[in-house]
Amino acid sequence: MLLRQKSGSILMQGVLWIYFLVSVYPLFWMVSYSLKNNDEIFVTNPFGLPLNFRYENYINAWSQFSIPNYFLNSVVVSTVSTIGILFLAVMFAYTIARMQWKLRSAARVYILIGMFIPLQVIMIPLAILVKDFNLVNTYGALIIPYIAFGLPFSSLVFYGFMVSIPIELEESACMDGASIYRTFFQIIVPIVKPAIATIAIFQFLGAWNEFLLAYILISDEAMKTLPLGLLFFQGEYSTDWGGMGAVMTMASIPMVVVFLFFSEQVERALTVGSAVKG
Amino acid sequence: MRKYYRNKWAIMLFALPALLLYTLIVIYPVLQSMYRSFFDWDGLGEGTFNGLDNYIRLFNDPLLMTSLKNGALFALVLVVFQLGLGTIMALVIADPRLRGRKVLKTGYFIPVVLSVTVVCQLWIAIYDPTNGLINKLFQVLGIPYQQNWLSSPTVSIIAIAFVNAWQYMGYQFSLLYAGVKSIPEQYMEAATIDGCTKWGAHRRITIPMMVETYKFCLIIAVTSGISAFVQMLIMTNGGPGTTNYTLTFMIYRYAFGEFEYGYACAVAVVLVAISLLVTAIINRVFRQEKVTH
Repeated sequence: MLLRQKSGSILMQGVLWIYFLVSVYPLFWMVSYSLKNNDEIFVTNPFGLPLNFRYENYINAWSQFSIPNYFLNSVVVSTVSTIGILFLAVMFAYTIARMQWKLRSAARVYILIGMFIPLQVIMIPLAILVKDFNLVNTYGALIIPYIAFGLPFSSLVFYGFMVSIPIELEESACMDGASIYRTFFQIIVPIVKPAIATIAIFQFLGAWNEFLLAYILISDEAMKTLPLGLLFFQGEYSTDWGGMGAVMTMASIPMVVVFLFFSEQVERALTVGSAVKG
Repeated sequence: MRKYYRNKWAIMLFALPALLLYTLIVIYPVLQSMYRSFFDWDGLGEGTFNGLDNYIRLFNDPLLMTSLKNGALFALVLVVFQLGLGTIMALVIADPRLRGRKVLKTGYFIPVVLSVTVVCQLWIAIYDPTNGLINKLFQVLGIPYQQNWLSSPTVSIIAIAFVNAWQYMGYQFSLLYAGVKSIPEQYMEAATIDGCTKWGAHRRITIPMMVETYKFCLIIAVTSGISAFVQMLIMTNGGPGTTNYTLTFMIYRYAFGEFEYGYACAVAVVLVAISLLVTAIINRVFRQEKVTH
């Protein structure tokens, strides 16, 4: 009985490690072929580490693609969107969590509706709206929708956080004569800092990898974000696997490094959604 | 204190920017989509009202059936793979005596943070019929099976769905793992004392107690299946032919390829309706099966 349980548990652990390989090996394979030439990738050594590292793939790829430019665009769009979301959502959440006004619960439900609206249903009118505001091929074309789309989820997370803050803190601040603004920025904002960090990671990653809207709203090569700029497989470089692997590896490294440093925070940030939607 | 919280200026200053932006960019376009779905409209002029014509045309459009079928298949792959395998993995890894948990969890999660473009292009290479990883692996292992993964009309939708399942496995796994972790250990102990085996206890206790987690995971998996798009766009451009069309692909093609904005809006409305319906059904089913403690 004990023996059977033991071998069963080894088998189960085997499943974990096999899936680990399924999850990680494709990435190892990509990094490996980014350092090989086609002969090695296709014929002599398709699976393992390169026999001699061909760094020239990276040098060529760097000079052929405007990777730094895509990076810059992604950094700008993701950072500004994240900051915008945080600002608006924290302030809005405070009004529905604490302030007394007639439409308070209506406003909460109104923003909650946004959680159930997929991007697809707004994308056509949004594309026209962006055109009407002359925002096509600008940062604004992405930043403004990303902020608006991030609001429902972020506001509700902050709301959940704020209603659990004991009211005494604000009461004593009020007694001491602090204004509502001062109370908000010096007491409330510091308390919700953990939630702010979580939402910042969540929204930044979301904006960093957003594809659909960017694909529709951005066509100018100079304005493309990383997910768009990397879309070249079916293009002229599709036979140069090494160079392609090099571009994709370079594009992935920053995110993977950030993730390895902050893996716990990132996982928590991305799974915080279950608390709201469930 | 009451006066403090009734500061009208503060309320306006804090709430209005968010509400205005949200109304303009989210709510107004939704209403526009609904309204425009009753028009023959090319996105430029006023368009002409044509009642239910778009919807009638849609329900006779063979692409609708293709898209619904693909959405369902896509969702099925996600559910079986992520929820099925994910559950087993979450249960095994929750055992505190297991070594290497941190490494395993990190490895599962890395694909989640990659760009979807990178992932899709990597898998185009993996699926490559002559030089791809999978067919090469079959050769090396002496398995006489080769598949044209992305251009076979029957296999390609599964192959594409698998890429999505693979990338976001770590995400669903984390949700399931958090669900397993949230169950007090005494429950398991009590069950083992009563003579349950570990897996028996999981089946009777852990899994039924994770109703909320499953509900959420299922909603995510099914709705992302129904609205799938990016993977087919990058990997096969909806093909071979139109075999890999999904609802979002239809919206994209009709709106931005053929400038039939009114018709595309009707597809969008149907997409939302189906998503909401499915979400409501899942909520309903799981409410009935909720275990009372």
